[in-house]
Amino acid sequence: MNKTAGISLETVFERLALDRIIKRLKELDVPADALTWHRFFGALLLALLVLLFLSGAFMSFYYSPSPGSAYDSVDYALFTVPFGDIIKGIHHYGWNLFLIVMGLHLVRGFWVGAHKPPRQLTWVSGVIILLLIPAFIITGDLLPWDQKGYWSTQVRISIMRSVPFVGDFMVRLLQGGPLTGIVALTRFYVLHILFLPVLLTFLLVIHFHFLIQRGLSDSLSGDNLSTKTVRFFPVMVNRWLILFLCVTLVLGLISWYWPAPLGDPADPTDSTYVPKPEWWVLFLNQLVSIFKGPLSVVGSVIIPGGLVGFLIALPFIDSSPERHPARRKMVMLVAAIIAIAVLALSIMGYLEHHV
Amino acid sequence: MRKRNQKESLHSKRRTFIKTTFLCSGAAILTGFPLVSYFIAPALKKATGKWVDFGAVEKLTPGSIEMLTYEFMVKDGWMVLPQRGFVWAKINKDQNIKVFSSTCTHLACNVIWQEESNQFICPCHSGRFDSNGKPVAGPPTKPLAMLKHKIEQDNLLVYLTF
Repeated sequence: MNKTAGISLETVFERLALDRIIKRLKELDVPADALTWHRFFGALLLALLVLLFLSGAFMSFYYSPSPGSAYDSVDYALFTVPFGDIIKGIHHYGWNLFLIVMGLHLVRGFWVGAHKPPRQLTWVSGVIILLLIPAFIITGDLLPWDQKGYWSTQVRISIMRSVPFVGDFMVRLLQGGPLTGIVALTRFYVLHILFLPVLLTFLLVIHFHFLIQRGLSDSLSGDNLSTKTVRFFPVMVNRWLILFLCVTLVLGLISWYWPAPLGDPADPTDSTYVPKPEWWVLFLNQLVSIFKGPLSVVGSVIIPGGLVGFLIALPFIDSSPERHPARRKMVMLVAAIIAIAVLALSIMGYLEHHV
Repeated sequence: MRKRNQKESLHSKRRTFIKTTFLCSGAAILTGFPLVSYFIAPALKKATGKWVDFGAVEKLTPGSIEMLTYEFMVKDGWMVLPQRGFVWAKINKDQNIKVFSSTCTHLACNVIWQEESNQFICPCHSGRFDSNGKPVAGPPTKPLAMLKHKIEQDNLLVYLTF
């Protein structure tokens, strides 16, 4: 079967010095518990990331990072190039789904105590990845140079500028000057397609390093599933491939029926355009609106900063070996309050800005 | 003898460590300094500004607040591009003029003058400013920026920074 023109596949692997790696992969066993459905959020994130990298890389073939031509280049790629709508749609719906699945991955990890010893740094590295994602959205949003992207960027830049002492410098550093023009657009583009993906890949390698070294978290039910094993290749790999095919198909179909939005070209003189906060930032936006005057720093810095601090410090706060949610009442209560507050603020924000 | 060997081995380890650290720092500085400077250089430039001509003062109606749009060419990096926007001019009955920036002091959306309520409103977070640019409702705490202006040869000139 493996013979091709008299040369076996094994010989090819040997010539390529891949034989040992292939052998190790073939013999690699993972706990059978890895096949549980809720353990696939991570794999789904990986599939989405591959799709985002691919669609993004291909979109760059038709993209021109200049305020005079960026919009037209995106419009051309979207409506003229074959499959342009699908590729942009996969990128657009892909990152939205990525945020949702990342939230589920985090909640699931918290629920089963995946941050407990010895996996503290698996959790922390995951939280750092989570914090990097908004940078992708901020830099990516401006690229089509449409009204939504331009004005959302103005709001974000203004928030950044309000940071005491260093705010103005940070804005100039990000934009490459005081203007949101060609230098800023080029910077955002290069950060979005080169520096941030390289950083994300590096962080993912660290996340996987801890995952491989510290292993998957044990099953909550405590049954003997974890003692049974399955082969990584082909069992796990095939599951991942099925997942990749399914998510590609679903995103492709969604993009086909509901093409990714592209608003009007950016117009800094437009006094009627009101940027609406996106769903993932509604709760933060609502916090900013609630705290007024001298208390505004509470909503814009203290609470979000506290939340980030809580996520990073969680493995060290909730460090008891007890992992069952029913026996971690205090930390569950705190998490529930945070989750309800985020949900309530998001609903309030949605009603205020989108209805 | 054994103790001496141990001591020497420790010294050798320390020497290797210092040497490698020194070389690493050198490599980091040598590559890092020009690269970091290259990246942050534009951020160190100071803001510039220019006087923009908004036309004849007599065209402005006394006792009103008017939107004045501008478009001028600005060199941004390697390209000269149009910079567009607008400001709000308040013309008092006595011809005294105040010019406000259109940028909301909360989160940088454009404020709009609403004749009926006699207020500037920001559509993003419902911030409101009175006709003198003072915040009266919503999240903004700072007044609208008042822009430097002058009248030369009967034309209104406003100093815009960018």
